[in-house]
Amino acid sequence: MNEKEKLYQERLERYTIAMECGKPDKVPICLGIGEWVVKYTDTNLQEVFYDLNKSNSIVDEMLSDFDVDIFGGGPCLWWPPMFDAMGSKLYKFPGIGLDENSTFQYNEEEYMKAEDYDDFIANPTEWLATNFLPRISDEFAEPGSYRATVALIKSAAAFAMQAGTMAAAWEKWTREHGVVGQTAGMTKAPFDTLGDALRSMKGILLDLRRRPEKVLAACEAITPHNIKQGVSGPGADKRFPCFAPLHRGAYPFLNPHQWEKYYWPSLKATIEGLWAQGKRMLFYAEGDWTPYLEKIAELPEKSIIFQIDNTDAKKAKEILGGRFCLQGGVPTTLLTYGTPEEVKEHVKRTIDELACDGGFILNPGGVVMGDAKKENIYAMIEAAREYGVY
Amino acid sequence: MSEKEKSFVPDPGTCVPWKIKKEELEEIHGNEEIVKKEWEKLDEFAYSFIWFWVQR
Repeated sequence: MNEKEKLYQERLERYTIAMECGKPDKVPICLGIGEWVVKYTDTNLQEVFYDLNKSNSIVDEMLSDFDVDIFGGGPCLWWPPMFDAMGSKLYKFPGIGLDENSTFQYNEEEYMKAEDYDDFIANPTEWLATNFLPRISDEFAEPGSYRATVALIKSAAAFAMQAGTMAAAWEKWTREHGVVGQTAGMTKAPFDTLGDALRSMKGILLDLRRRPEKVLAACEAITPHNIKQGVSGPGADKRFPCFAPLHRGAYPFLNPHQWEKYYWPSLKATIEGLWAQGKRMLFYAEGDWTPYLEKIAELPEKSIIFQIDNTDAKKAKEILGGRFCLQGGVPTTLLTYGTPEEVKEHVKRTIDELACDGGFILNPGGVVMGDAKKENIYAMIEAAREYGVY
Repeated sequence: MSEKEKSFVPDPGTCVPWKIKKEELEEIHGNEEIVKKEWEKLDEFAYSFIWFWVQR
């Protein structure tokens, strides 16, 4: 076993013990490299998004610099060429419709209409393929046409190309930097699947008043698919949790009654379905989830890693600590507006309060965006190593 | 294909399940498991592609 392989094993053990709510030798540090990557080099966001090899080589360089145990992923959630091939309406990416240094934008629309509920519920996969894809894609608007056929070929090829490129990059990062990937696989809360991409915020909020039974039926129809997606492809590796970015469940998008009736049951069923297969979820609780901590505590022990973004950290520790691994603790606003001294002081306090008896991973509370200060990222890591020894 | 096409609801992780495809094939002379295994791999890939677009 060479030095990097040994380092990987040490870090993997640190991560695994924390996920099991135990106390490793050190507080594990996790970092995902967000769009602030552009500050690290002389590149711009368009290049970072479009040129996967360039983006991966920047990550490669940065990982040499950072003493982190767990890597949450690079700056690009999506590879725009795959979307361009379909003429996708879903996003605007830097360089097309946006300045080359603008972050991406989501074009939220009711791509699924209220009258589509029954057809979607009856056969979700077929409905997505035959109705949703043509609606969100200019190039695929007329399936069977020359342009649509070519678009589908190109986009599916891009999907496979990106997966191959990223698998090779992760293998390299693991081998050359001894860093552990945080997640394997991805899924979502069924209500978010419905509310984010299909019905939109406006649509689903109206549905809660006008056709609530359809919302529940759709969430129920989506649940087995979201369980499957958490363990599909890379998700088959059950040592690592699947990533689940959670959106509309944050307080106060829904009131507590709506949350309990419409958001929570299908998310809980998804988590329980995954856990029954030995798969944990990274419960990426973006925003504030404080009012719901008692309900979340009802989940099977250790079935999630709970991400602390704007949730009250002390309450999260009090209610969830010991049952679930907690992750986060460093507000992204502090990384943007704070000083290195303030970041170090905050990390020390966070470790004292949240990591004292194990089951904790130090991490920015959310995705580190383009306005974070580079010196604050370094300060966070330095302080975590200084104060994070058990 | 349209004459043969049957209505079915694919299980999660599948688009055209092997059992549907097998009924459409007249005869498999060789090892069915080899064909089935590779069919299911590509079918799951297609499933992931379709659901990718809605899991933003």
